[in-house]
Amino acid sequence: MDDFLTGAAQIFTFTTLAYMLAGSIAGIVAAAIPGFTVTMAIVLTLPLTFAMEPLQGIAVMLAVYVGGYTGGLISAALLGIPGTPSSVATTFDAFPMARNGEPGRALSIGVWASFFGTLISTIVLIFAAPPLALFAVKLGPWEYFSLIVFALTIVASLVGDSVIRGLLAGLIGLALSTVGTDPLLGRPRFDFGIETLEAGLPFLVVLIGIFAISQLVSEVEDAKTVRSGSTLVTGAIDFQTWKVMREVLMRPVNLIRSSMVGVLIGALPGAGGSIANLVAYDQAKRASKTPEAFGKGEPGGIVASEAGNSATAGGGLIPLIGLGIPGSAVDAILMASLMVHGISVGPRLIMDNGDLVYGMFIAMAVSSLMMLVVAVCSMRLFLRVTEVPKWLIVPVVMVCCVVGTFALNNRVTDLYLLIFIGIAGYALRALGYSLAPLVLGVILGPIAETNLRRALMTDEDPTLFVTRPISLIFLVAAVLSIAWAIRTHLKKNKTPERSSDATAS
Amino acid sequence: MSQTGLENERAREAGEIARLLSYVLILLASVALFFAATGIPASRFERLGAGAFPQIVFGAISLVAMIAIIDALRKIPGSAYGRFAEQTVAWARRRYLVFISLGALTLYLLAIPVLGFSIASLVFLFTLQMILMPRRPKSILIAAVVALIFSFGLNWLFADVFTVFLPRGLL
Repeated sequence: MDDFLTGAAQIFTFTTLAYMLAGSIAGIVAAAIPGFTVTMAIVLTLPLTFAMEPLQGIAVMLAVYVGGYTGGLISAALLGIPGTPSSVATTFDAFPMARNGEPGRALSIGVWASFFGTLISTIVLIFAAPPLALFAVKLGPWEYFSLIVFALTIVASLVGDSVIRGLLAGLIGLALSTVGTDPLLGRPRFDFGIETLEAGLPFLVVLIGIFAISQLVSEVEDAKTVRSGSTLVTGAIDFQTWKVMREVLMRPVNLIRSSMVGVLIGALPGAGGSIANLVAYDQAKRASKTPEAFGKGEPGGIVASEAGNSATAGGGLIPLIGLGIPGSAVDAILMASLMVHGISVGPRLIMDNGDLVYGMFIAMAVSSLMMLVVAVCSMRLFLRVTEVPKWLIVPVVMVCCVVGTFALNNRVTDLYLLIFIGIAGYALRALGYSLAPLVLGVILGPIAETNLRRALMTDEDPTLFVTRPISLIFLVAAVLSIAWAIRTHLKKNKTPERSSDATAS
Repeated sequence: MSQTGLENERAREAGEIARLLSYVLILLASVALFFAATGIPASRFERLGAGAFPQIVFGAISLVAMIAIIDALRKIPGSAYGRFAEQTVAWARRRYLVFISLGALTLYLLAIPVLGFSIASLVFLFTLQMILMPRRPKSILIAAVVALIFSFGLNWLFADVFTVFLPRGLL
């Protein structure tokens, strides 16, 4: 309780709240721009939080995070372009509804669904994180290693249209993580005599290069649309805030189911909002009495998608707080920001820094409320953001990426690394490799290696990985996850592959 | 088959060949790094040395890359290889703005230590916007203002507000 009050006292100060409000606005604006993801917004916020108190910094980043999950729906509803990968399913129903002359209603439903989704996930987080953390302390390096193996398989099974390239990307990520001194004994590895590489590849530079740069240049692939720079937004924007709130609350089953889907998917390391919104939408459609209405402007579809993706924000914090494992790239950055402040993230976080953890819970709730207020008050203004043409946004965001990269370590050599990784990232993207597994490989690699070696140092017997029950459960889950991925992949590819074989012969 | 269908099919085949090349590159690199990893000295204190984990990873990459190569070779019809160069050129031409943007970014990053952040950013922002935009007096004016804000303005924000000093350059 003391921790709770200390945390609350730190959140409810004027400066913190003001920073959070700015973060919330920044998150919504950023995510509303197509091609600018929540992840990028958080990456760019990170250097700004270095100078703040730890909790203050985290609170601001959470505000960006929560705001960002909502912002994606703005361009999804108005332009039919998902502002972030996590609002893909939002376009299915919000865009038709907007086209039918109700853009305000579509936006409001999305905003309210996001608000309730975040709130529900925060409540789950408060109850689930502490017991999970206590349980997690009992886990040894064996369990951790098996857990990471499981997390890696989820990445390969859920991302991209090719399992092989997903796997390769994940493995390349693991390989990148081995550059630099080894985590246990400090022996130099693969630095090729280059000084920058001695300390390893800085994770955030890899992240910005892989995600941001490759995404930005892929935005200018089609020369014609860039050169014209026109917009699609039409129609009157009428919000009917309270009427819509009742409309959303009239779907309690859908709301809670979608939020739980979001929490569970968010809690799995490797999965995130981009998957949760599709799964939640799918579930809502299957459970609906009128599945044929979905895709034509059905409010239930918007509720499911937006509640689903927003709930991953709280869900993703469960493994972060409980186990010290980032549930997504965004959580990895949150983790990095804690580490910059000298707070070690792991199962002991909630015991050693209870005030911080409770402060994070409060910040989540406050952020969702702020997001709601900001979104409702200024939706008209945010419409302007979607009108910003690509020719302006691409160079400007590139400069922001450069500043973010440099501010991280104050090293010019990181900039050379950035362009190198950016070009490699674009090449991989153009070749159809999915980039998310790669980034997660980079995050999970050192954790996997450290625990594998620590386990074998503690006890030379490798069979402990399968004889310790919890470790075995994770490994079995990993095998099942791979089997499931192969099965879905085969099923999905059956029809198109046959037709392409026919044309080839 | 329609003309565009055939074109798409050929572009897809060229994509498969490009992927095959990437698998071969990855395979070669991973095999080389696998052997480089065997050279990392082991330790008396642990069963797995510093080189073991990289060996596992690079071994796995080689294996997956080999499977990918076999899979790709099976899929690509023999006639596709002859058209590869032509298709690649066509692909690159369609996306010329991507290469211009990446080139501009590279030059910009190389120029930062010399010109300093503010000037390099100003030039980069204005030039790239000019290349990408439909050139009209109004948009050129916007581009100039945006370039000023995100070069000198950003530099001021970081230096005076966040006390992070961006590269000043030799000038």
